[in-house]
Amino acid sequence: MSKIGLIIGREYSSRVRKRSFIIMTFLGPVLFAAVIIGAVMAVTNDTTFHQVVVVDETGLAETYRTQGRLFQDSDQLRYSFASEMQDSTFASSPYTLWLEMTPVALKTPDVAVYYKGYPSQNVQDKIRNDVEGVLERNRLEEHDISYEDYQAVKVRASVRLIDIEDDTKSDSNLGARAMVGIFFAVLIYMFIFIYGVQVMRGVIEEKTNRIVEVLVSSVKPFQLMMGKIVGIGLVGLTQFLMWVILSSIVMAVAQGILIDQVSAGAMADGNLPAGTADMAAMMDQYPILAGILSIPWGQFLGTFVFYFLGGFLLYGSIFAAIGAAVDSETDTQQFMLPVTVPLIFSYIIAIAMIANPEGSAGTIFSIVPLTSPIVMMVRMGIGLEGSYWQLGLSMALLAATFVAVVWLAGRIYRTGILMYGKKATYKELWKWLFYKG
Amino acid sequence: MSKPALTTENVTKIYGEHRALNEVSITVEPQRIFGLLGPNGAGKTTLIRIINQITGPDTGSVSFFGESLRPEHVHDIGYLPEERGLYKKMKVGEQCLYLARLKGMSKREAKTKLKAWFERFEIEGWWNKKVEELSKGMAQKMQFITTVLHEPKLLILDEPFSGFDPINVELIRREILRLRDEGATIILSTHNMNSVEELCDDIALLNRSNVVISGGVQELRDQYRNATYSLQFTGNMLAFTNALWTNFELVEKDSEEHDHDVVIRLLNGRSLNDLLNTILPVVEVHGVQEIIPSMNDIFIRAVQESSQPEAAASQTDAS
Repeated sequence: MSKIGLIIGREYSSRVRKRSFIIMTFLGPVLFAAVIIGAVMAVTNDTTFHQVVVVDETGLAETYRTQGRLFQDSDQLRYSFASEMQDSTFASSPYTLWLEMTPVALKTPDVAVYYKGYPSQNVQDKIRNDVEGVLERNRLEEHDISYEDYQAVKVRASVRLIDIEDDTKSDSNLGARAMVGIFFAVLIYMFIFIYGVQVMRGVIEEKTNRIVEVLVSSVKPFQLMMGKIVGIGLVGLTQFLMWVILSSIVMAVAQGILIDQVSAGAMADGNLPAGTADMAAMMDQYPILAGILSIPWGQFLGTFVFYFLGGFLLYGSIFAAIGAAVDSETDTQQFMLPVTVPLIFSYIIAIAMIANPEGSAGTIFSIVPLTSPIVMMVRMGIGLEGSYWQLGLSMALLAATFVAVVWLAGRIYRTGILMYGKKATYKELWKWLFYKG
Repeated sequence: MSKPALTTENVTKIYGEHRALNEVSITVEPQRIFGLLGPNGAGKTTLIRIINQITGPDTGSVSFFGESLRPEHVHDIGYLPEERGLYKKMKVGEQCLYLARLKGMSKREAKTKLKAWFERFEIEGWWNKKVEELSKGMAQKMQFITTVLHEPKLLILDEPFSGFDPINVELIRREILRLRDEGATIILSTHNMNSVEELCDDIALLNRSNVVISGGVQELRDQYRNATYSLQFTGNMLAFTNALWTNFELVEKDSEEHDHDVVIRLLNGRSLNDLLNTILPVVEVHGVQEIIPSMNDIFIRAVQESSQPEAAASQTDAS
């Protein structure tokens, strides 16, 4: 076995046998699933019952209620009416929400709801619908238009944005596809940080316990550095693969729970006929699912692995150089800027792409090497059709930058690992680049 | 005569503005123990790193058993650095195997040899212990084993005795001598002059990036003799000093009533016989021995002389 293979082997096996790795590998997907299920449950299953007191100075709300048109009770809230209300009496009352309808509200469609506990989106929507109905009907009467006429002339146009080159991509699922991209971008971001810091710690460990001098009398510093980066990268990849496998198992189990939950919620809203809780209906109902399923997953995951490894090797070598330059982890702060700034910047770009999925910032930074591993994942989620040359360019640039950065990092590493007690500065590092072997 | 185990020719190494080594040339004969001496910061570590190919010389050349130094030669060199460490979380056996395989040994060969060494050092029970459970002395035994396991032709030991208790110092000392007798060449870098006198056949003394003196330990001690004698006598001290006159210098004296113990340096090319002829009529001589300088004396003198260029120059003139 070659020496670099031995080093990779040691870095890999010493880490995957650690208890923390095993725990994270098995707990990760469970946590993920728990968070997702928990979130869905929390949204669809918020059963807090609200007692809403309406102080209706217009008198309209109460009228429509008695007519049975608006302000009807539901299984989530009950309306009561009061002529006036004070902060203190509200506080001591059994009411949980307090809606204030003033005559001014009829002109400026502004009403205030005071709450004791923040109401769920469903409850908010219900109250807004009722208030809107009152204001609408009031204005219709002022203009002497019958509600039936209004209903007859009211049109809601549906403008669908469809990509000319990819008709599976539409505005309804673009957001969802961007979200999937962001999810994987965040994975890369997390892995670069978590495992990059492990590279740095590993280098500092070897440096501070002085085994490095023994090691470099057997192997080249560059082999030592690359062995460490590749070994730890493989640990990250192993963890990711384990997560994929375990997640599919956990999700298969969880899917039953989720679908029951979602379809139960949908049926309760009366939007979905009972018995049609199958995938096709779900996709119509929830464009997110349609979006997720419309991603070309083979291509997507292939690119993910490339950017995962490329990004990790690039940043990992910077982390290794930082580790070599310092004597202890507390000294690393000053050198972390070149790592954190581009990473956080690309994260912000990625988030901004939800609002503007095909903007030029996304295009540019998906090509720039230090940001491409994260930003390109979002673009891959959205879909790249017609711009494959950009993917090629981005990959080529990442590979080239990787080679250059590794070479520079190797020079800093080689000098740094044998330099003790010297406070390294950027100026010092610059000098190290030019020391002869 | 066989080829030298190691030679460096005019090796110079510069870090930024600091000249770590200046035209350093040393020759290490095979199957000898070569002491690489010098105060802190003299350039010893840099020279050792160049021999280990951890770093390369800016100018000059290094040859190993007659061949120009090549990367494969690291398999024939064993290096025990002064600042030595181990992976604390790794198991002893596993780590020894790892280090041995990095030196190019096969797993099976390394395992067999490790077992033999563990038996010799009576540490068989350690194989599955974690390094962090070992005491400092235990860890150093382990480091010594990993340094010599691949049976290197050249061993470089930097302060090998530091941190050992006297029993282990003796153990390591015996092992070093045994390894030399079995054919290894050893470079020993140390501040401990007693071990230099006991172990080293030859030395080179570095000071301020230059080789100040080099040669066989015996020859150097002879060479650094400066006609100084220790003398014991009974009699009148005043009469004695008068007799010395200008041809002999009284360097030290330790008197108890009429018994005196003095150190005399011969001047103006006088011999011991001249000294005896001069003082025999005045006092009763009990004993006289030539003072052979210790390596410690030589070390201090050479460092001081080379640190003060003018003094060194005048010294050369005088001799």
